[in-house]
Amino acid sequence: MELRVIEKTDDELRMEIAGEDHTFMNVLKGALLETAGVAAATYDMNPEQSGGQTEPILSVKTEGDVDPLDAVGDAAGRVRELTDDFRTAFESAA
Amino acid sequence: MMIPVRCFTCGNVVGEHWEEFKARSAEGEDPAEVLDDLGVDRHCCRRMLVSHKDLVDVVSPYQ
Amino acid sequence: MASDFEVEFIERDDRNARFVVRGLTPAFANGIRRAMIADVPTMSIDTVRFVENSSVMFDEMIGLRLGLVPLTTPLDDYETGETATLALDVEGPATAYSGDLRSSDDLVQPADENIPIIELKEGQRLELEADAVLDRGREHAKHQGGVAVGYRHLQRVDVVGDAGEFDEQESNILRGVIETEDDELVLTDEFDNDLTERYPGKEVEVHDVPGAFVFHVETDGSVTAEELVLRAADSIGDRAAELEEKVAV
Repeated sequence: MELRVIEKTDDELRMEIAGEDHTFMNVLKGALLETAGVAAATYDMNPEQSGGQTEPILSVKTEGDVDPLDAVGDAAGRVRELTDDFRTAFESAA
Repeated sequence: MMIPVRCFTCGNVVGEHWEEFKARSAEGEDPAEVLDDLGVDRHCCRRMLVSHKDLVDVVSPYQ
Repeated sequence: MASDFEVEFIERDDRNARFVVRGLTPAFANGIRRAMIADVPTMSIDTVRFVENSSVMFDEMIGLRLGLVPLTTPLDDYETGETATLALDVEGPATAYSGDLRSSDDLVQPADENIPIIELKEGQRLELEADAVLDRGREHAKHQGGVAVGYRHLQRVDVVGDAGEFDEQESNILRGVIETEDDELVLTDEFDNDLTERYPGKEVEVHDVPGAFVFHVETDGSVTAEELVLRAADSIGDRAAELEEKVAV
């Protein structure tokens, strides 16, 4: 996973997350949309054959005093918590 | 020529069941029941076995 | 969002599992599904060195067949890209089976032993050495541990009344798992996938249960169904941890 910030202001962020695909990006986007202070979040990914930008680009817009990079950090932490919870729930049922 | 190792569609291993399927259907058992018994449930996997023909005996004289 | 998941098994054995998870978002459910298919690595033969092949098949065809043979994968002992060596030596008249493969590692063995590789006639011989490599389903379908992995919404069936006395009963086909009014989970196979078999003469309503997903996981034998699910969740969790760490600096 290689990060490259393309554009960053106080309330907007565009960042390339190289080496990832829909598997992780969609989970991350879902978590971002549930993070406090996030007004909008999406990602864009082009197929290999398009020949242009094929790595996913994450776009986040925040409101209030939330820094978009912090929001991404929060969302990633949330995804990690979710997978840990899932693991615990699955193991106790198994 | 030889039974494909896996189902083309779903990737389930079907080669494992070929010899038993062949032997039991040759003995007159209903092929559908043999497949049920072997646990080959999906019709994508079933067609792999039902429609297969061994051809090694046919081509081996022309080596 | 509630993050306390509830998991309930409906069917479970080594290679096959069906379970209900409650409290999932569709994004997370799909992430797990995709990770099971493409991100959990398995061992598979990748390079073959032929010593002798006088069978009726070309080296490449045998190489392809060997690659598709599922190998048991000790995921704790191998890193992606690491290899184990296997050898095969069969002389005709006989059939070379996957079970004839001899492995350098006791933990990396063919998961199925009766897969015919090639039938050998009198005087034909197959001798080879092969390297199995650990890689992910994203690279090649032969590294895919999960077979026909998917999920459906859990559906709740409520009886709302009696069907009209002279109404023609049309079959009402459902697939997967239903939740009954007594909160029981019932596999639709049990009533031939037809609701009119289970509730004859009744009028029923079917609704999706929000946030509840019925996963069906089948593996090719390289890992157990349970391990596949857990490894898939871990692979997403690891990436999230990596991102969290990188964003923090």
